[in-house]
Amino acid sequence: MALLEVENLSIGYRTKRGVLQAVDNVSFSVEAGRSLGLVGESGCGKTTIGMALMGLLPRNGRVTAGAMRLMGRDMLGLSREQWRGLRWKEIAMIFQAAMNALNPVQRVGQQIAEAILTHNPGLSRGEAHSQVEGLYQLVGLSLERLRDYPHQYSGGMKQRAVIAMALACNPKIIVADEPTTALDVIVQDQILQETKALQKEFNIGIIFISHDISIVAEVCHHIAIMYAGQMVETGTTDEVFREAKHPYTRALLGSFPALGGERRPLRPIPGEPPLLIGQLAGCRFCDRCPEHGHACKLDPPQWRRFSDTHFALCDHCD
Amino acid sequence: MEQAPQSKPILELRGIGKQYRSKGRLGKGGGQTVVALSEVSLEFRAGEIFGLVGESGSGKTTCGRLIVGLEKADQGELLLEGRSYGTLKGESLRAYRRQVQIIFQDPYQSLNPQLSILDSVAEPLVTNRVGDNKARLEKVLATLKAVGLSPPEDYAFRFPHQLSGGQRQRVAIARAMILGPKVLVADEPTSMLDASYSAQIFDILLEVRQRLATTIILITHSLAAARYLCDRIAVIYRGRLMETGPADAVISDPRHPYTQALIDATPKFGDCGPIKRYGTLVSPERPASGSAGCAFFRRCGLAHLGRCARQAPELTPLTLGHLVACHYTQEAPAPETGQACRLGGMG
Amino acid sequence: MSAEPQTASQATPRRRSPWRERFREDWLVFNHNPLGRAGLILLSVFGVMALLSFLPPLIDPMYHPMTGVDPQVLYSEGPSARHWLGTDFMGRDILSQLLAGTRVAFMVGVSAAFMSIVLGVSIGMVAGYAGGIIDTLLMRLAEIIMVLPTLLVVLMLSALFGKLNIWTIVLLIALFRWPGVSRVIRAQTLSLKSRPFIDAARVAGASHTRIVFRHIMPNVLPLAFLYMTFRVTAAIVIEAALAFLGFGDPSTVSWGMMLQWVWKTGHMFQAPYWLFPPGLCISLITLSFYLLGRAMDEVLDPRLREENGTV
Repeated sequence: MALLEVENLSIGYRTKRGVLQAVDNVSFSVEAGRSLGLVGESGCGKTTIGMALMGLLPRNGRVTAGAMRLMGRDMLGLSREQWRGLRWKEIAMIFQAAMNALNPVQRVGQQIAEAILTHNPGLSRGEAHSQVEGLYQLVGLSLERLRDYPHQYSGGMKQRAVIAMALACNPKIIVADEPTTALDVIVQDQILQETKALQKEFNIGIIFISHDISIVAEVCHHIAIMYAGQMVETGTTDEVFREAKHPYTRALLGSFPALGGERRPLRPIPGEPPLLIGQLAGCRFCDRCPEHGHACKLDPPQWRRFSDTHFALCDHCD
Repeated sequence: MEQAPQSKPILELRGIGKQYRSKGRLGKGGGQTVVALSEVSLEFRAGEIFGLVGESGSGKTTCGRLIVGLEKADQGELLLEGRSYGTLKGESLRAYRRQVQIIFQDPYQSLNPQLSILDSVAEPLVTNRVGDNKARLEKVLATLKAVGLSPPEDYAFRFPHQLSGGQRQRVAIARAMILGPKVLVADEPTSMLDASYSAQIFDILLEVRQRLATTIILITHSLAAARYLCDRIAVIYRGRLMETGPADAVISDPRHPYTQALIDATPKFGDCGPIKRYGTLVSPERPASGSAGCAFFRRCGLAHLGRCARQAPELTPLTLGHLVACHYTQEAPAPETGQACRLGGMG
Repeated sequence: MSAEPQTASQATPRRRSPWRERFREDWLVFNHNPLGRAGLILLSVFGVMALLSFLPPLIDPMYHPMTGVDPQVLYSEGPSARHWLGTDFMGRDILSQLLAGTRVAFMVGVSAAFMSIVLGVSIGMVAGYAGGIIDTLLMRLAEIIMVLPTLLVVLMLSALFGKLNIWTIVLLIALFRWPGVSRVIRAQTLSLKSRPFIDAARVAGASHTRIVFRHIMPNVLPLAFLYMTFRVTAAIVIEAALAFLGFGDPSTVSWGMMLQWVWKTGHMFQAPYWLFPPGLCISLITLSFYLLGRAMDEVLDPRLREENGTV
């Protein structure tokens, strides 16, 4: 059984101009010890999915259809109390801005200990602190840093502390939302490697949300490409990178400069993504599609299967 | 590398140094001095795209701000077409800035939210008293069109909050280019943008260079972006140049352990071809070496505890145009030197 | 991840003035706020009263608020058909006085607030933008003035120079009430100064004057207007207090003046029809400006969020 299953999930935001369909009919699943990369540009709904998985949708956001199951347990009907029991213990999140996730006036080690104590009321203070020490060793922070305040940490160290916090209650699954966006390349690389190692060690499922397809390629087993609220292609990392089917995936891959190989011209994607308010018939990428043009504007595209794991939401790709 | 290496530099930095003094705590005075740039000498040739690559805090942004006169250097001098602009002030600063413009990292912050696109883009024309209102409007519309905002009438009367990030960055480029500067500094122009937009911005920069022969100084943290856009690059770490040379040579055959570490860390995907791992980074960091030693000493796996800690290496030419500041690359040249030679020699 | 930027970029029709659109949106937010609505309604009532104040003297000279005396009335009388709110001790019509007082209150409040805002905004912007010694000097000056009790100083001045003209009072209030505004505007200017668009303007060749007036001022004006509504309240209260204590301009009829007459002639507890209207008016007009300010505060808030938090 999959650790986490999301089926036909749709999420809408109430706005002044009408309901904004931020996520439309998205399905995926994550197994223990595997990682799924959710890739897409800003506004594609990837962060909204992350928030929904944590039960942290903003007040004007609502799951309009579909189901989310954690180890077979339905997550949508949970009460506030039940969410509190689930969050951090079963499913934890590493936020986009790690810098702001730490309380500036409390020692970092103390903060993590507090988090452990809140979720395991039975523990003593000493036990919690020794757990924090273990976590620090795990994420590669030196123990002398336990008594420091967040502002004394560098960006990479804060990110490590936040990862330690996410691991504090031994969650089964971690949602990482752009965890390395603000970091330098070298630190980013170290953190990605560590994340991979930790995942293997503890058999955690990871949902890795990023706009940067090259980072996702480094860490994830599976990739799901999102565009304008929909998932447009999903497959193993190899499949998506070597045999990208959906024109959007190809365009996305073509718009990143590579470090090696031939210097090929980038292919920017013209235009802007569509507005997600009101009825959207047909393929959403249609207006920007370099390959198939306007033919798909009328009918919603169907999923095409290329292998057991590889699917694309496009009528014309093969 | 189309232009001859001997062509006169359009802009030159000679021994630029810059320090910041942090304030002491609670009136104790005597704050610490932070070195942002130290003895940076660079030449930018007409019509080239030059990449300044480094991590945050490396001094690359300070360097860009110095070039457009937003900061003043503490040491060294700045030469535009052979003329020294030591103390930029008043009219001479304005004349200088007609030639040297900048686009900033964050398009959400670099446009005044209260001004229409027209007003923002026309500002350099107004402050330099170019043309009358009608001529300015025409010029603005033409420039907006040139950066791909078309039809320009659609955008000129909007306000920044009505545009996407990619569109805003185009507006910023239009404003920088409207006076036809000779040098354009692009400070991480795409780091706040999505990939599809950033590819658009890259292409606009390439087009600007091609059409107007503008020299572009690209400040970036991404070696991949630098490789895509630049003719030559310089790698900067803690305010010092580590390595500089033709983009292809530096990336396919990096000679400084820091450049090698950067290449190790850059995520690779797709048709990257064979890229070897250098493994030059040492972890955890060593204790500081003091100000005299090599800037990269604390993290360098090749460092000699005596020599590298005491003496900062000079930037020395390895091959034509490929310079490295490291004591050890020169002594033990890698076997691939021959190829780097050829690459450099073609330049 | 909010969808706000793309929403905005595509929903905009061609060539429609964004200012008007913005104003409409702001107005909608404002109008949804019950406090703001109440304040606005109350304020329009006072506005109508101020306009009506020109009428009574035209109907009959005896309704002139200052000099019109009803020959048939010898002493203060309660409400009647002839004098809806009654008369004062000299037989002057209280309603006409009340209406004239509204006009004075608006005049004093708005002009003193406007002057103090102009002063405060310019000084705040200059201090924040220039920094260094200019900033220090201006802010020390602001602090010195801020700790002086306005009412007391004006009282002392009027005791020294005799009765003060109403415009002198307005000027004094303005002179004593700018420091608070200037501190807020300075803080705002400091944060604006470090925003990249100011750097961009400098690189574009903009002079300091241009940066201050073209780039910084439009961004602090909304805040200045907000403060203006609060300053109006303060100015009205100060003027009323001065007049009540007998240091007002004897040639104008203000609500404070009316209260003083009630008190001086010993009608405090004898003539509620005379005491309550001016008292109530002072409280209500202060309240209405205050409510207006609170509502504007709420209008400004989402705007700030929208501009800063776009990703």
